[in-house]
Amino acid sequence: MNKEDRVLLEMKNTSELMLDLAYSALIYQNKDIAKEVIELEDRVNKLHEILIRSALGCSKDEKSFDRSLIMMKISDSIERIADGALDIADVVLRDIDLHPVVRKSLDESDVVILKHRVEKGAMLHGKTLGEVKLATETGVWVIAIRRGKDWIYGPDEGTTISAGDVLYARGPDDSEKMLSPYIKGK
Amino acid sequence: MRRKRLEKELKEEHGEIPYEQTSVRELLTLMKDTTELITDLAYAAAAFENRELAEEVRHLESEMDKMMYQIRLKCMLGARSMEHAEQMTGILQVASATEKISDAAEDMVKLLDMDLDLRAILPHILSEADEKIHTIMIYPNSEMVGKSIGQLLLESNTGIRVIAVRRKNRWIFGPDADTRLLENDLMIVRGVESGYREVRAVAHGEMAWSEVIG
Repeated sequence: MNKEDRVLLEMKNTSELMLDLAYSALIYQNKDIAKEVIELEDRVNKLHEILIRSALGCSKDEKSFDRSLIMMKISDSIERIADGALDIADVVLRDIDLHPVVRKSLDESDVVILKHRVEKGAMLHGKTLGEVKLATETGVWVIAIRRGKDWIYGPDEGTTISAGDVLYARGPDDSEKMLSPYIKGK
Repeated sequence: MRRKRLEKELKEEHGEIPYEQTSVRELLTLMKDTTELITDLAYAAAAFENRELAEEVRHLESEMDKMMYQIRLKCMLGARSMEHAEQMTGILQVASATEKISDAAEDMVKLLDMDLDLRAILPHILSEADEKIHTIMIYPNSEMVGKSIGQLLLESNTGIRVIAVRRKNRWIFGPDADTRLLENDLMIVRGVESGYREVRAVAHGEMAWSEVIG
């Protein structure tokens, strides 16, 4: 993978995280998360610009021209997806009471958003997400962690979970049941 | 919500306009779910240069336009006071954000209309994403044959979500829990690498399902 590939990849991963965060912000009326979506959108915009500049700079022969065109087009779509996430986060920041219908409709989605505190003595305590293979074992994907006043957005396999952490996660509709044994104290 | 969508599509084929019975809540859920399916399908269509997937992306996008129109109508009819109207703007903003995203997904598949070698570039990049898109063939000797996606609790047990199934010459897009898997089905899946490896091993008859859930 060259630099452009990595930029496009980061854009895709970030846009997906942004959407998950935007829905979490909406469901839990959480402005911290909504603000993170705004920061991430800024990041996506910058990456988009880097990619366009780089693509325009190296499109000399026909083959690299085609490649540049593909990269620019995908990058443009991702940037617009990120923009959509921003619009959703903006609803949270506008201080308007959320219509109850929004939350109900999100609860009935194929992909649900959960928020749970990790209890003392829970199986996840002191383990990394990779060690317990949480996503593979349960289908639940952690999108953010609140630890005291700090936030970890888009944790990866190396992120260690501690008792007291509040997990924001998404997964299929039976996620609640699947996640429970990992976060409940003994 | 997927079942509802199918019913709706069936009704549409028979010329009925089913939107009248659909509530704002149902529309919004459907729009969110469609957004997730359409982006996955768009990446898959581009990466595999698959015109049938691209066609479904276009179809879903036009459905999104119709839903957007319906949700606008319903919100306007439903607003009874200033406060209520303000709340409605929140609903409409979320709905139009999902519509914007599906527009972006549809734009991505326009790459297929240009004479470009997408396969040489995109699969290579997308295979490194946090959640990857892969194809998996179900072999006749697999334990998955004859089981429904819901019976297997596939996503909860592996983190792998099936976004489309190709069966002979037809496609099932966004299959639901009741969709039964058959031999020689080609699944397009999305999820983490370790889950993908497990599902592929079971689909190829090389691993028992009990090993996955054990």
